[in-house]
Amino acid sequence: MNNSSDSKSSIENARQRDDAPFFMWRHLNKLRWLSLSIVFLMLVMIPLFSVYQTYIAAHAYDLLYPNEKMLYDVVETITSPFISDPETQLDLVKGNTWSGTLFGYQLTDPLAIVSQIAASTSIYWPFVLTGLIPLVFTLLFGRFYCGWICPASFLYELNSTLGLWLEKAGLKIGKRHFSKHIKYVILGMGLALSMISSAVLVAIIYPPAILGREIYYAIALGGFGSGIIFFIGTLLFDLLVSKRGFCRYLCPGGALYSLLGRYRLFRIKRVVEHCNDCAKCNAVCEFGLDPLRDHFGQECNNCSACIAVCPTDAMTFIVSVKDYPPQGPGHLGKKYRRGHPEQTIE
Amino acid sequence: MLKRRGFLAKTVTALALLLVSALPYGLGRMLYPDTQRRKPTRNVKIDHIKLRPPGALKDESAFNAACIGCELCAEVCPPGCIQFYGQEGGDKANTPYIAPAEKACTLCNKCMEVCPTNALTETKREEIDMGIADIDETACYPWVDRGICGACAVVCPLGEQAIGFDFANIYRPVVKDACVGCGLCVEVCPHPSLPIRITERQRLT
Repeated sequence: MNNSSDSKSSIENARQRDDAPFFMWRHLNKLRWLSLSIVFLMLVMIPLFSVYQTYIAAHAYDLLYPNEKMLYDVVETITSPFISDPETQLDLVKGNTWSGTLFGYQLTDPLAIVSQIAASTSIYWPFVLTGLIPLVFTLLFGRFYCGWICPASFLYELNSTLGLWLEKAGLKIGKRHFSKHIKYVILGMGLALSMISSAVLVAIIYPPAILGREIYYAIALGGFGSGIIFFIGTLLFDLLVSKRGFCRYLCPGGALYSLLGRYRLFRIKRVVEHCNDCAKCNAVCEFGLDPLRDHFGQECNNCSACIAVCPTDAMTFIVSVKDYPPQGPGHLGKKYRRGHPEQTIE
Repeated sequence: MLKRRGFLAKTVTALALLLVSALPYGLGRMLYPDTQRRKPTRNVKIDHIKLRPPGALKDESAFNAACIGCELCAEVCPPGCIQFYGQEGGDKANTPYIAPAEKACTLCNKCMEVCPTNALTETKREEIDMGIADIDETACYPWVDRGICGACAVVCPLGEQAIGFDFANIYRPVVKDACVGCGLCVEVCPHPSLPIRITERQRLT
């Protein structure tokens, strides 16, 4: 009996079995990259739209410089098929992920709301209600913001890919580990300092807020502010000290989302019957979690990279408020080892 | 050999880091090169005239506490007059201001409508209080008999109720109580020494 063909056929069988997870879960990771790219693209486009709107409001096309005319023409070409009155209709999409308007609905980052309440020590309900939809989504999907929307996360994931390339080229990248609880301390200290200084201080160290601001500064106000230095510092921290270290150990927003998503409803579960212990899920997990041993915890951001990479479709979504308890080694793994006598279970 | 390899590795790391750090800057420059950026018409550095946008909370610390720095007010501003304090502003960092000598507010109320917190509270045009204009009568052209002007009165969005003319000389501008301090007169004033300043409104309580 040919061992290699046996193991291969077991994987193929897993793909065609009856209790395979919903086929779309495998493709969610592509959807996630699409979502991240769209958010980042909009973060660049919205300031361009607003510059275009100021040109329109000033009726100043003939007075513009050639490069400004080019911007005007490009944005007009992009937007004119969809809208007729750019001066008002482009206002439907405004702002950034920190706080913005999406087709007329105001949405705000829960961290902005919490820190603004701390800074002003009062509750302004019209503002707090704009965070209701993100809050409900966070309670359902946990840290989904970090994996699906955060524009800084987009750059951080590209940064960790760069780290992999550098590692392949023979360079050292940082792989240190710290305590996961540092970020909760930073969140608490940030809120306490906001309360003392009565200014929203968390915005200074929260990468998506920094990015939203700085991209607007760069495009509409003539240059990056000082926040971009902090952001580049976090990129270097991720590259040289710890992979995705800022998100995992330091980000105050990540801390808040982790706390809110502790009892989230949608979780990833390993189907132990079909797992062959290949540990690709551990290798691909951006946040350094341990899906192979059923350790997800509140840090999992449901990014579904482990579902996409799993060769035997042994990862699926479940509806539960608690992680599935550890299930031991995968059953398919034993079968695989039986064919290879040199790989025995100790 | 090993030393040289280590040196090479460090050099490559340094170059890669340089590239990474230069990328966002270059991206910004590529998107909007400032080689031909329009300079403000005046070269005067006027740091003391930085107004909050219309409808801002009067108490400065309350404003800093309410503002989350989301830049929505600047994005909707039709003349594009709202700018932001950097880290030099201390606890004002990332909060908006208007420098009327460079670009002034036109009282369109869009920023107040879009503000998610109540940092910019919706206010009627007549009740906005950004300050009150103060004309230096030793510099203004008609006041020193250097010609006729009246640009400030023409541009004022509140018209006759906010700025009028002196009884004796119909070209000498006089500020009235209805002025809300939008700063449009500061922007259009042709005198290089900026005779119009926006000052804090003194109220008899």
